[in-house]
Amino acid sequence: MSICEIQGLTRDYGKGHGIFDVSFSIEQGEIFGFLGPNGSGKTTTIRHLMGFLKPAKGSCTIDGMDCWKNSADIQNNLGYIPGEMAFFDDMTGMEFLSFMAKYRKMKTAGRTKELLERFELDAQANLKKMSKGMKQKVGIVAAFMHDPDVFILDEPTSGLDPLMQSRFVELVLEEKARGKTILMSSHMFEEVERTCHRVAIIKDGRLVATDSVDALKAAQIKKYVITLESEESASAFANEGLQISAVLENHVTVIVQNDIKKLISVMNLYPVTNIFAPNQSLEEIFMQYYGGGKS
Amino acid sequence: MINWTLYKRGIQGSWKMLLIFAAVITMYFTIIVSMFDPELRSALDEFAKAMPDLMAMVGMNPASGELISFMSAYLYGFIMLIFPMIFSILSANKLIARHVERGSMTYLMAAPVKRTTVTFTQMKVMGTGLFVLIFYATVLGIVVCEISFPGELAIRQFILVNAGVLCLQFFIGGICFLSSCIFNTSKYAVGVGAGVPALAFIIQMMSDAGKELESIKYATFFTLFNPDRIIAGEADAFWGMAILLVGAIILFWTAIVVFSKKDMHI
Repeated sequence: MSICEIQGLTRDYGKGHGIFDVSFSIEQGEIFGFLGPNGSGKTTTIRHLMGFLKPAKGSCTIDGMDCWKNSADIQNNLGYIPGEMAFFDDMTGMEFLSFMAKYRKMKTAGRTKELLERFELDAQANLKKMSKGMKQKVGIVAAFMHDPDVFILDEPTSGLDPLMQSRFVELVLEEKARGKTILMSSHMFEEVERTCHRVAIIKDGRLVATDSVDALKAAQIKKYVITLESEESASAFANEGLQISAVLENHVTVIVQNDIKKLISVMNLYPVTNIFAPNQSLEEIFMQYYGGGKS
Repeated sequence: MINWTLYKRGIQGSWKMLLIFAAVITMYFTIIVSMFDPELRSALDEFAKAMPDLMAMVGMNPASGELISFMSAYLYGFIMLIFPMIFSILSANKLIARHVERGSMTYLMAAPVKRTTVTFTQMKVMGTGLFVLIFYATVLGIVVCEISFPGELAIRQFILVNAGVLCLQFFIGGICFLSSCIFNTSKYAVGVGAGVPALAFIIQMMSDAGKELESIKYATFFTLFNPDRIIAGEADAFWGMAILLVGAIILFWTAIVVFSKKDMHI
């Protein structure tokens, strides 16, 4: 059953800005990744889902309800982490959370306590004095405390340290196991790779791909930077018949699509001192995805 | 229609500002009333004689030697117009536009609370503030007069003048609130919300200052509040109050509709 449906959503801000004919749907119990570089239209799409913007063309629904007309009803069962955290003045984290609980007309504090412990957050500090990571944690608690069935998370891990990022991933996977539906936006493939089964990639306001993470990974070409002891051994290494993209002093950049074994066996013959796999940009990943699809 | 959690929060955010305004009003009331001298004409009347144009410009133009006329001239021509107006300007911006500009409106929207409920609640916060401020001034005026000049103040008329000022301030509040609901940045919300009533007030001051400019009084809504005619019990003064009140309802209603339909980039 599809929980979230976006059809032909368009909003033209002029000069090529905006979103154009965006369509996708998210099934119940699915973690759906929404990938795109900064300024590609992720947040604009999410604002439509949240009912902040009225669709100029097209439509979007959550749970069968129109996101613009029924936004207040949808919010009953929705948790949201905004891309930019902005709270009220002069409130401590705890005051804010209890304000939100009462504002939402929750009868209890819900999951607040458990979530604060999970993220090791002391919410007694004033929101203004909190670091970016702490604010992000407050935002996470506010989104999950009422235990909704649908989540819209706009770059939810920004500002979190790697340990907290993993805690967050655990939380999201647990929620998925409980049958929750999650839309998660990000500008890093590595982040959605760990959680999502399907992703939509948006670029310049248009969806360029909607596919499973596995399909994207299969198309992915990995780069490894191998460091050798000397420049001589590096140039000899480069002549072993591997696909080489660059040789710089004693560093060799190797491109590997499927045959990682060959690289390993060659590496065994040489005095390798380091191996490093740089993160690939989204652009590279979908360039490869398209390149792979065509050939 | 109203979210009490948000209302409580709004009141908590307003009371300090209210306290300051109440203190300023208290100061003016006690000083001005103490200057009233039924026998010898007051010092302020001397000023009015010496510099009639200047005093008329700031609305200080006593009609008779009665305490109520004295108060209406020296308190309800400037102080009780300007201070509640400043409260409206600051409060309207703080309740809506600033939340949109800063992005904290996100959290008010990302909850099962309708936009109309949010604006209606914020309007109530502002309305409560204005009511409290003017109610306080009414009580204060009566108390100060009864202590200094027992039995001199025509209390019924004084209450009516305050009711008139309340209608006027709701109308001004409506302008500020509408402006705050239309614009997404404090700069424009305050610019228009303060600019329109300020301009209307300046026109009022100019029309009071000279006979040749008197006809421009029809270009300002301040003309609809005429304390002297309220005291005299003239029907047109009460019609003016009614028009201001209806105008206020229309302004607030428009503000709520505008906000419920607008796109928010938060």
